[in-house]
Formats: sequence, structure tokens, C-alpha cells
Amino acid sequence: MEPTDALLAARLAAGDDHALAEAFDHLAPTVYGAALRVLGEGSAAQDVVQDVFVELWSHPDRFDPAAGTLGTYLNLLARHRAVDLLRSELRRLARQARHHRLTLDGHDPSPGDAVAAADTADAVRAAVSLLPDDQRQAVELAYFQGLSYREVALATGIPEGTAKSRLRLALAKLETVLDRQLLESS
Amino acid sequence: MTAHRHDQDVPTGLRERVMTASRQARPAGLAVPEITPDSPMEAFSSAADAFYDMLITLSAEDWHRPALRDLDVQGLVGHLVGVERDVQRCIAGDEAIGSANHVESTQPVALAQEGRAPATTTAAWREAVDRTLAMASEADLDANVAIHGVALRLRDLLVARTFELWTHENDIRVVAGLAPSVPEPSTLRPMTELATALLPFGAAFTDLHEPISVHLVLTGAGGGTWDVAVGEPSPEPAELGIVTDVVGFCRLFANRISPADLEVLVTGDPGHATSVLTAAAALALD
Repeated sequence: MEPTDALLAARLAAGDDHALAEAFDHLAPTVYGAALRVLGEGSAAQDVVQDVFVELWSHPDRFDPAAGTLGTYLNLLARHRAVDLLRSELRRLARQARHHRLTLDGHDPSPGDAVAAADTADAVRAAVSLLPDDQRQAVELAYFQGLSYREVALATGIPEGTAKSRLRLALAKLETVLDRQLLESS
Repeated sequence: MTAHRHDQDVPTGLRERVMTASRQARPAGLAVPEITPDSPMEAFSSAADAFYDMLITLSAEDWHRPALRDLDVQGLVGHLVGVERDVQRCIAGDEAIGSANHVESTQPVALAQEGRAPATTTAAWREAVDRTLAMASEADLDANVAIHGVALRLRDLLVARTFELWTHENDIRVVAGLAPSVPEPSTLRPMTELATALLPFGAAFTDLHEPISVHLVLTGAGGGTWDVAVGEPSPEPAELGIVTDVVGFCRLFANRISPADLEVLVTGDPGHATSVLTAAAALALD
């Protein structure tokens, strides 16, 4: 019996934790590398690695050996998780920027808060400003004004699918544009 | 699985963290998708239904094809009638059946089928199975019983009988040119539980005394993962990993294939693997 990805998946389904250890030993460096390339930060990338292998262990049947190698599957999973994490962080930073803007409008913040808010807002704005106009508009509506995909589509007069793809493209670009400092400072 | 050009050194401690989190999400040994195993009564009843469904498809010629030992198909079904009668004596508390020989005790009933209409033999067998089920449903399944030189709990006897019916069903399928059958995963599960639980006894029976810790992985629906200690107790047993298909392992346990016929992935000493797989097949009764 040859050790193949299909056999590894069958062993995982059978509850063989040795198979999980083997998968980790062979593929974790690649998965960690994929997460690092998106996130640029070790701690968050480790969270992604954990998520990816827990997902593999919990739902081995979701890996289809006929569709590609286990390495490719885990890398895609890592990349999706990392982008989700980045997207979530982007939303959090956008919320933070809005909050600080409102605070500045209504109250006198401490000097430290004011500097942090300005830095965060500037970093997000700088990254978003580099996007093409249609993608920038979609991001601003979705993440700064809190509109859903459908609402973005309605507001800009484009099909919902186009709104989704613009946001996906924008997020993919933001992954590479956003300075690591943005995450580290958070 | 190959190294990638973007590989990164994995931080210290991440492996342990991932393994711990994974085992918390799903315990090791638990197969997915999870299935609800048949009860011993359900498993035996299911095997009997499958056997009956096969019998009624046989042609007149099929009933007279050589099947096992000196028995044709009809004789083999007669043998099973005899086994049911012995099981009923066992449940009723007849201690003499504990030391009876599996073949000798049933041979008169097997040979008595000659000249009878196949439908008569089928009806006799079905009636005998139904009587066994009726008696077992009234009995304490955790009671210890002894039959044909084997002592075990009644619930385990019913699962052993599930093995026997499935095995003989496939003996007949082979000679009748029918495709082999595989039990439902819910039925396979109690079968594999019994087979793995009996592995240490099979080892003792085959004089396998060397202490070995067996990590046995049976792949496919109805399978799972077991860690079984065989041989003499030892704080430092030899480590052995065996991965094989669940149905193949059941055929081995039923002594219908040899260890050499079984496709396995072994980690550890291949000689140990052969010894353990030989032990797995050692307790089968024909």
C-alpha cells in the first residue's frame, strides 16, 4: 500500500492522529509560509496554521484527492483563512478610525489617542487610496460605510456579482499593499 | 507530500499546540463521519436478512455447488441451521455445548439437507435464526456464555455470528458467481470492535508473546483507529503501525484471506506485522 494523499485522508477520517502528525511535519512549513506571506506577522500566521490543521482533522472529507494535492488544498485553506483574518482586521481598523473620528468631533481625546487614531486612519486610507477607482469605491462603501454586497451593488449601479468580485480583488490587493506596521500597531 | 519553495521554519511549540487543539476538536480514534453502530441484535439480524436475500436469488444448480469442506451450498446452509440450534442450547444454559466441536456438532444437520427442496432448507434456516433472535431478545446480553470451545458474552457471540453469516454468505456468493457483499458501516463497526478486542487473544493463541503496541488503522466507512497491546505486558513494547482497509481486515479476521493477501501500510517491524495479522485470523471458526 503506497502512502498517498488519498490514503492519508482515509487515515485522518479513521481517526488516526499519527496521520495528522505526519501531515503537519510535511506540510506545516508550507502552510505557515503561505499564511506569513498574507499576514506578514508570525503570531497571526500561527493561528492560521492551527485553524488549517484543526479543520483538516475535523473534516478530512472536505479534501478531495481527485481535485489536487493535500499541500495545495492546505495552502488554499491557509490563504483563505489569512485573508479572512486580514479582512476582519481591516474592518476593525475601519471601525476604530470611525470611532476616533467621532470622538475627535465630539470630545477632546488624549494626545496619545489622537495620534493613534490618526495613524490608523492614515494607514487604512493610504492603502485604500492605491486601489483603482471602482475597487476603492466598493471598499469605502462596504467597510467604511458598512454596506452589504447587495447595497454596494445598488449604490453603484452594478450587478451584485460584480460588487463581490471588486471587493475580492480589492482585498487581494490590500493584502499586499497594507504595511505590516498596520497589523503590528494593532 | 513535498517541500515547497516558500516553506518557513515552523515556530517551536506550534506542532504540540496544533495536535492538542485538534484532539480537543475531535478525539483521536473517532472515525468521521460518525455512525451509530448497530446493537449486537441489529447486527445479527441485518446479517441474517442479507443472507436470506442472497439465498432466494440462487438457482437450483447453485444449491448443489461445492461450498465449504465437504458441503455443498445446501449443506452449508444446513450447517448454519445446526449452529443456530447450538446457540439456542447455549442461551438456554446447556453447558455441554461449550465444549462441542463447531463442525462435528452441526454436521448431522448439514448432511440431513441432502435430498430436501432448497426452499425447505431455507425455511428451516430462517426459522432457526428467528428463534435465536427471539431467545436472545429475552436473555441478558452481558451474560457469559460458552459455545464450541469459546467463552464470551452473549452480545459478543451475536456479533461473532454476524461475522459467520457474512462470511458464509460470501462463500456462497463466490461459488454462485455473485459479487461479494459488504455489510453496512453501522454493522461493520461492532464487527471491527469485536475483532480488535479479540486481537490479544489471537496473539496468545498463536504464541505471539513479544510485547507489541499495535496502532491499528482500519480505513473506510465502519473503520476506525485502535491502540491494542498484544503479547506479554511490558513498559516498553515494540511500536507497530498497521493501516489497512476495514473490509479486508474483516475478511482476514474471518480467515478468508491471508496476511499476504491484505494490502497494508506498516510502520515498524514487518515481521511483527505479519505475526499480528496472523493472530487476527487465528480465532475464526468455519
